[in-house]
Amino acid sequence: MKVFSNISREARFLFRQKHLLGILSVILLLSIFSVWSGLSEMESQSSTIERLQEKDRIDRESVLAKQSDYGSAAYYSFHLTYSEPSKLAFAAIGQRDVYPWKHRIRMLAIEGQIYETDADNPELSFLGRFDFAFLASVLLPLFVILLLHDIRSSEREAGRYDLLITTAVKQKYLWFPRAFVLSSALALALLAPFIVGAFISGASLVDIVLICAVVMAHSVFWTLLIVWYTSIKSVASQSSTQIASVLLSAWLVVTVLLPVSSDVVIDKLVSSPSGGDILLLQREAVNDAWDLPDEVTWRAFLATHPQWKDHIDMGPTFEWKWYYAFQQVGDQKAGTLSQAYQNATLEKDGLAKRFALLSPPMLTQQLMSSFAKTDTLAAMQYEQDIRAYHNALRQFYYPLMFTRAEYSLATMSEIPEFSQYITK
Amino acid sequence: MSAVSQITRDEWRFWRRTKTATIILFIGTLLTIISAVVNTIKMEDATHERHHLQQASESRFLDQPDRHPHRMVHYGHYVFRTPSPLSIIEPGVDAFTGTSIFLEGHRQNSAMFSDQRQASGMTRFSSLTPSFLLQVLVPLFVILIGYACITREKEAGTLNIMITQGVNLWHLLVGKYLALVASGLLMLTPLIVASVWATTTGEPLMLTSSFIAGYVLYILIWSGIVLIVSALSKKSSASFATLVGLWIVLCILVPRMGSSSAAIIAPSLGKLESDFAVFEALRKLGDGHNAADPAFEQLKKNLFAKYGVDKVDELPINFRGTVAQYSEQKLTAVLNQFAEQRMQEELSQAQIARQFGWLTPTTAIRSFSMMIAGSSLETHHRFLREAEKLRFDFVQSLNQIHQDTLDYKADMNRHNDDKSARVSASNWQVLSEFSFTTDTPTTRLSNSIPYLLQLLFWGLIVVFGIRVAVRGISQ
Repeated sequence: MKVFSNISREARFLFRQKHLLGILSVILLLSIFSVWSGLSEMESQSSTIERLQEKDRIDRESVLAKQSDYGSAAYYSFHLTYSEPSKLAFAAIGQRDVYPWKHRIRMLAIEGQIYETDADNPELSFLGRFDFAFLASVLLPLFVILLLHDIRSSEREAGRYDLLITTAVKQKYLWFPRAFVLSSALALALLAPFIVGAFISGASLVDIVLICAVVMAHSVFWTLLIVWYTSIKSVASQSSTQIASVLLSAWLVVTVLLPVSSDVVIDKLVSSPSGGDILLLQREAVNDAWDLPDEVTWRAFLATHPQWKDHIDMGPTFEWKWYYAFQQVGDQKAGTLSQAYQNATLEKDGLAKRFALLSPPMLTQQLMSSFAKTDTLAAMQYEQDIRAYHNALRQFYYPLMFTRAEYSLATMSEIPEFSQYITK
Repeated sequence: MSAVSQITRDEWRFWRRTKTATIILFIGTLLTIISAVVNTIKMEDATHERHHLQQASESRFLDQPDRHPHRMVHYGHYVFRTPSPLSIIEPGVDAFTGTSIFLEGHRQNSAMFSDQRQASGMTRFSSLTPSFLLQVLVPLFVILIGYACITREKEAGTLNIMITQGVNLWHLLVGKYLALVASGLLMLTPLIVASVWATTTGEPLMLTSSFIAGYVLYILIWSGIVLIVSALSKKSSASFATLVGLWIVLCILVPRMGSSSAAIIAPSLGKLESDFAVFEALRKLGDGHNAADPAFEQLKKNLFAKYGVDKVDELPINFRGTVAQYSEQKLTAVLNQFAEQRMQEELSQAQIARQFGWLTPTTAIRSFSMMIAGSSLETHHRFLREAEKLRFDFVQSLNQIHQDTLDYKADMNRHNDDKSARVSASNWQVLSEFSFTTDTPTTRLSNSIPYLLQLLFWGLIVVFGIRVAVRGISQ
């Protein structure tokens, strides 16, 4: 019971101070704004996907009705792919404003299409979004510093320090409850709007608990750091502002200097092929195929699709199967480069995760966006889903084209749907 | 005036003695120097690389063998945006927009491969650009150096002594102010050096000097804020807490709230969604690959009347080329209309975010700096427009060759006799050279005026605030 009475004493003492209540209510308002703007952003993304699905379906139906062979059907019909925001995405927009989350593809070479982005307004991305993860990773330490840096020194400056020390049974009964009350009040102001928002968006209890745990762990880290730092003998004689300056520099090091320099290091460590080269290679391959003898295309195509070796006879005019075969060959030629490019992205992400261990704010941000599935890995997974779906389209069309099947809308209604290829 | 400079010198001497201020100044200056050097190297590399890629892409196009002209329309061409000289300090939206576009017939592709997409994701909050340091961190350094400049005198009781000794309050405040400004300017030196460097690489002096002037104004504003808060606070700790709070709000929160608000107030449809409307409109135009499409019936009739013939193969020109040219023109008009609409949407979002410059000097200096450096959204849009113009020109020139040079009968027989349905590679010379240059100095200066006004507005607030502070102390 002693612990409880210590805490309630400190709470009564602290909440009588007007400026503390002021700071806490500002933090509460910020958190409300971040949650609200995140919710409305994700709401609009979800409804965009819904609208797109509808438009995509109508568009494709009208296109398919006008076709008379599978080759043109594949050429003129587009297919929507999308990455639905998770229920937690409102809290951590993560990389969702840099990587695409919606894409329309068709059966041409995938390497020529996959890098097209329907990205957000670059100026808004440059300014950065104000989401809950930003609040919890970058700003939270500043709030903790603001609230706790003078935990001891304010008493000293008010002349009460020695009195408090001598009357307290043990020092830790004095400073820990105070730090505990302040940081839990802060965590409450931050997390309450998040929890409400999470219920509105329908996030699972486990996810909510995970995010709360990350935020609280981050807040505990800074609280302990400050309590420890202010207890150092040589620091005891410093003024509140001197202590705060040192803590601010610590914040600067972990939120600005470490990420920035690790970015430079990661860039040096991982060599990635330039994206433009993939496109160039793919384009050369596809365009040259028109001038090459048919056998060259067929040889490369049959190497990966031997089952069609008896169906490569060419008629007197243009043949769609040959056209799609050299699209496939274009992808195969660019394959190595494209794989290296994807691997480089993954490798950079892996290194970034390791460097983030040095920086609690970065770690918080990464954990949150990985729970919210808005991180680079989620974006890469979406790209994999698109590739899998694109491949399924090919597997659907190839038999129809190579056997010169009669075009029928009934067959077309069996075309694979993207929703079957979404990795959960 | 000597009283003022005496106070300034005393303040500097105090900072030298206390070490903390010296350390902060040293770190701040060192950081800006490092970032300026790193960024200069990076931008120089990018310029060289993109320039090189541009030339490689052009020569590759020219080196293509004899072909059917429409094949070259689909072969396409790449253009690259070279960064402006001042982007060594203010890269602006450069890292967030793609810097290359693939140009081909019948389509307007978006810019691809933005740096951020290839980055490690560590630089979403901060970046090692001089502009981030100067706009966000230097104010913090000025705060750390100067939060106690007046409160210190109050706490030690020296302020009252000075007043009773007849020191003019204005002299005192201006003296302290100049000391703060000087420390801010010291951290600005790398920017000045880099601007001079940009001037030698072809940036007009008028621009670089207004660039520097903008940042000096920003330093003046923040030094003023620090001075005012310190003068109005009773204790150093209160001054410190207020200033750090202000810094969080003005430098970090408000700019981001601006961008979040803009996305909510003016939601944009996104390219994918507006493309449905584009496709809808395009389908009405007919397929330019198919000269028999009923959409080109009128065109055919007009040509028959003009040349007095009644069969397509009697025309002295290749009708398929004419159709390609005709439909490309119609299609481009539609595409441009939608592209313009989209750029307008983006611009109005950006405008909303930039209005937050009235609420924080950080957004004001950021917009100003992007405008002057020529790394703003507007410049990127101009790149898109110029790329589109180049696309349209080379596609139409190829279609012209298709119409005038390639025999219609050979063209119709192309599936059987591929060799005769080609034109000489010398025709590929129609591709004009692409070199993207930054906006003209007048455009950049006039674009920056609204944000200069925002900065001046903040300057006025600071002047007003200092007057209030003087009155506050003398009471």
